[in-house]
Amino acid sequence: MRDELKVGVFLCECGGNISDIIDLDEVRASLNVEFIGQFENLCSLNGRKIIRDAIFDHDLDRVVVAACSPISHEKTFQDYVKPLNPYLMDMANIREQCSWVHDDKEKATRKAITLINASIEKVKQSDPVDPIFCQTPDEVAVIGGGIAGMNAALSLAKQGTKVTLIEQSPSIGGHMAKIGKVFSPVKIAEECGMCLLNPILNELVWNENIEVLTNSKVIESERRAGTYNLIVEKSPRYVDTEKCIACGKCAQVCEVEVPDDWNDGLSTRKAIYRPFGQSYPESYVIDMDNCTKCSNCVKVCNMRAIKLRGRPERIPLQVGSIIVATGHKLFDMNKRPEYGYARYDDVITQSELGRITGVNGPTKGKLLKSNGEVPKRVVMIQCVGSRDEKPDGHKYCSKICCTVALKNANIIKHKYPETDVVICYTDVRTPGMFEKYYKHTQENEVRFIRGRPGEVVKKKDHFIVRTEDTLKGEFIEIEADMVVLSTAMEPSEGTREIAEILNIGTTEDGFIKESHPKIKPVATDVQGIFVCGTAQDPKDITESIMQATASASKVAEYNYGGVEIEPFIAEIDKEKCILCGDCISRCKYKSMSIQNDEVYIDPMACTGCGKCLVGCSQKAIHVNGNIDEKIMATIKGVLSKKQEGQRMILVFLDNIGYTAADNIGVNRLSYPESIHIIKVISVNRVRPNHIKYALDNGADGVFIGEFPGDLMYDEVERKVVRMKETLEEFNENPDRIMFSKVYIPYFTGLARKLTDFDKKIEELNL
Amino acid sequence: MTSKQNIDDSPIDFAEKIIRDVKNSKEEGVLKCVQCGMCTSTCPAARHSNYNPRDIIERVLDGDVSILEDDLIWNCFYCYTCHSVCPVGNSVCEVNQILKQIAISNEIGYDKLYEYMGFADSYFTAAIGAIPEIFFDDIDRDVPGWRDFRNNLGEIRDELELDPPLMPPKEVIDEVSKILTITGFKAKIEKIRQSQEVEK
Repeated sequence: MRDELKVGVFLCECGGNISDIIDLDEVRASLNVEFIGQFENLCSLNGRKIIRDAIFDHDLDRVVVAACSPISHEKTFQDYVKPLNPYLMDMANIREQCSWVHDDKEKATRKAITLINASIEKVKQSDPVDPIFCQTPDEVAVIGGGIAGMNAALSLAKQGTKVTLIEQSPSIGGHMAKIGKVFSPVKIAEECGMCLLNPILNELVWNENIEVLTNSKVIESERRAGTYNLIVEKSPRYVDTEKCIACGKCAQVCEVEVPDDWNDGLSTRKAIYRPFGQSYPESYVIDMDNCTKCSNCVKVCNMRAIKLRGRPERIPLQVGSIIVATGHKLFDMNKRPEYGYARYDDVITQSELGRITGVNGPTKGKLLKSNGEVPKRVVMIQCVGSRDEKPDGHKYCSKICCTVALKNANIIKHKYPETDVVICYTDVRTPGMFEKYYKHTQENEVRFIRGRPGEVVKKKDHFIVRTEDTLKGEFIEIEADMVVLSTAMEPSEGTREIAEILNIGTTEDGFIKESHPKIKPVATDVQGIFVCGTAQDPKDITESIMQATASASKVAEYNYGGVEIEPFIAEIDKEKCILCGDCISRCKYKSMSIQNDEVYIDPMACTGCGKCLVGCSQKAIHVNGNIDEKIMATIKGVLSKKQEGQRMILVFLDNIGYTAADNIGVNRLSYPESIHIIKVISVNRVRPNHIKYALDNGADGVFIGEFPGDLMYDEVERKVVRMKETLEEFNENPDRIMFSKVYIPYFTGLARKLTDFDKKIEELNL
Repeated sequence: MTSKQNIDDSPIDFAEKIIRDVKNSKEEGVLKCVQCGMCTSTCPAARHSNYNPRDIIERVLDGDVSILEDDLIWNCFYCYTCHSVCPVGNSVCEVNQILKQIAISNEIGYDKLYEYMGFADSYFTAAIGAIPEIFFDDIDRDVPGWRDFRNNLGEIRDELELDPPLMPPKEVIDEVSKILTITGFKAKIEKIRQSQEVEK
């Protein structure tokens, strides 16, 4: 019956992304189906008509789209196959898991044929089912209180959404608070950054929908039924923000002086301090790492706001969506000792120059060297740590450093026209309106030398910057008495930490990865988590705000539109069920409960893992969607294309592992052609009989990957151990089965594990 | 000076030839050069002569094969600073070595190599590379006291209670000589020596 179903296959060239590596003519010739067609860009709107027409003309029952990853476009094609039921379509991933990971055209083509054949066999086992709609909680957590996080929070709050803004430092404001002046490309003038930031800060503070948690970090996250349960750890401030009136008496009597990080260490502050004049909460804070507990501050505080004892508080938070705005940090200058940053006080970064020229900075806005004199010549060195393939360097352009250098050069020239400012650059990148500001800078007599300096050395009382003037082809030594380094932007520690806690994907550079860099710029690869600002990649304030408001409106879509859930979940046959409760205690996702004398299954919590099936004495539970049959059909579909001497490894991954595998392709890394990845709804659904069948019928190895954060992880691990034991009983080598942890951010590790496993299997085959 | 690129010219072929050379360890590094000049800014040869590593890559990318006959390529003495500082992972030092090899196989630069013949000879006589005598005056000028140090090396070692330097035994020397002869090194050396001595 199912064998007689008419299947149509649609091959997408993906504008060469697929067809440059995979010989689609060969693919068409090797498959025997009712209809097979090839198109340039199947996801375009034309694709809808092409697919629908073919379904009508050829009376198709099932559809296979061989294109990109289902993670990218499954929803698109589920829509394009109308009037067929969306679940009668399957995608063969011949881009992320074939053309982007393999170079050998012949082998890649053979693998594409195998993957498509597997999809054909699988889709024959599909039955029509309907997606389930659910609503998630409206509350939102915004992580990071810089300019991006503040704007995202404010935008949501103004739409009526309750927001918790979580900031790890004692004040919100982020990098913008310390930047000094900002400029807009149109105005051709620099203006006070704090004056622009303050109204946003005030508006945020007074908005009743926003709760600000400072000194706070997300330390745990668990997702259940579309709800994120976060644990936020709030470190003690030791000063009661309700009582403190920020009079500053405490700081006057504090005897401890430490470098002030808000001034990049260029000045000092006390152990009890207020981060900066406009910081929020408007309250002092004690830096307990440096406090000597002398109690001087406690004695002078009229408000009795200070308590020297305190412990971290754990705050549970339930939200429906999360916006990650954890920002960036600057390149560590100790990695480039050739520029002398650690050795010389007057070799500084652009950030430090921003503090020095800021009226609220260590010199009250005066441009002074460490000896108190105004510099005669300031040389700026661009691309420090950016566009740099050396170890510890970043291959990307940090995007803002050219305009930051121009801005700071202009600020110097306005106040100190006698000071010579030279910018040593490789390319000046001032796209769009910024070019006008570049011209303005030239008019201000800032000099530009095209060359990337190799070193800064000190000779007597000045520096020598060694570079080549590449336009003249001359090696030159420029004397300078202040050197300013334009350091790269890199992901902050918080960005790296939160990616791990929330298990969201990152790029090879450690920034949070968008689910599609072109068309989904604020969604991450986890449903309900969005990203904005410099946590996602280097960008300026304007772009950060645009992305922040975009992420807020994505959350609004989510809150108003609800979430569509795959229908492959457990269902109870009420006639058979005797309410014994066995399934309820088995379910790791706590999706089951007894309500009104019936077992109720929460569709957002159930993952379709099938654990409940095993214990049900009445066989009253059924998981929708023919999962077992589909897995078996996929295995058969892969193995039936095996050729003499060809090594075939089956890899079973759920959504998380599959996303990590896609990331290997997205980042153009590679693994052997023998690797065939099969996406399953839950790794637990891969049963011993599947694996036994695979190994008996031509699979040389089976690799099972599971995310350790998955509640079924231990279960799956135990199951694999049992399967290995069984294999040994049948005198088969248990090493042919491998179980491994997978994480979305560690796709490089997955690529390596797959490559190593292939090598091991190759040795076993000898 | 103007130059013209004809429709059939393919200047990139020269760079591709260098990329394919076995000596090149930097894959497509040459092609990624953006002429930033960081190599030149740290190059000792550039500081003391007209040698310019950035310019070497520019000429290679331009397909300017006349560089093979340019005396300047012989000014690089392989300190590998350019190799270690290059932001795009290129190595002018290696490119330069490849250029010299191409030059030598086209019988260019024999006069430059002739000065180093003593170095090659020492492999046959001692199975190790030794500084040719013709450089002794230069070294003594740059490193004052060097000649005394060298002449009294035996005594200095005695004083420091060091063993005499370990020299390869005769059978090793014979074996090395044999390898150098079979691989054609010896014939190459002779060819270079003859070409220069005939000219003289």
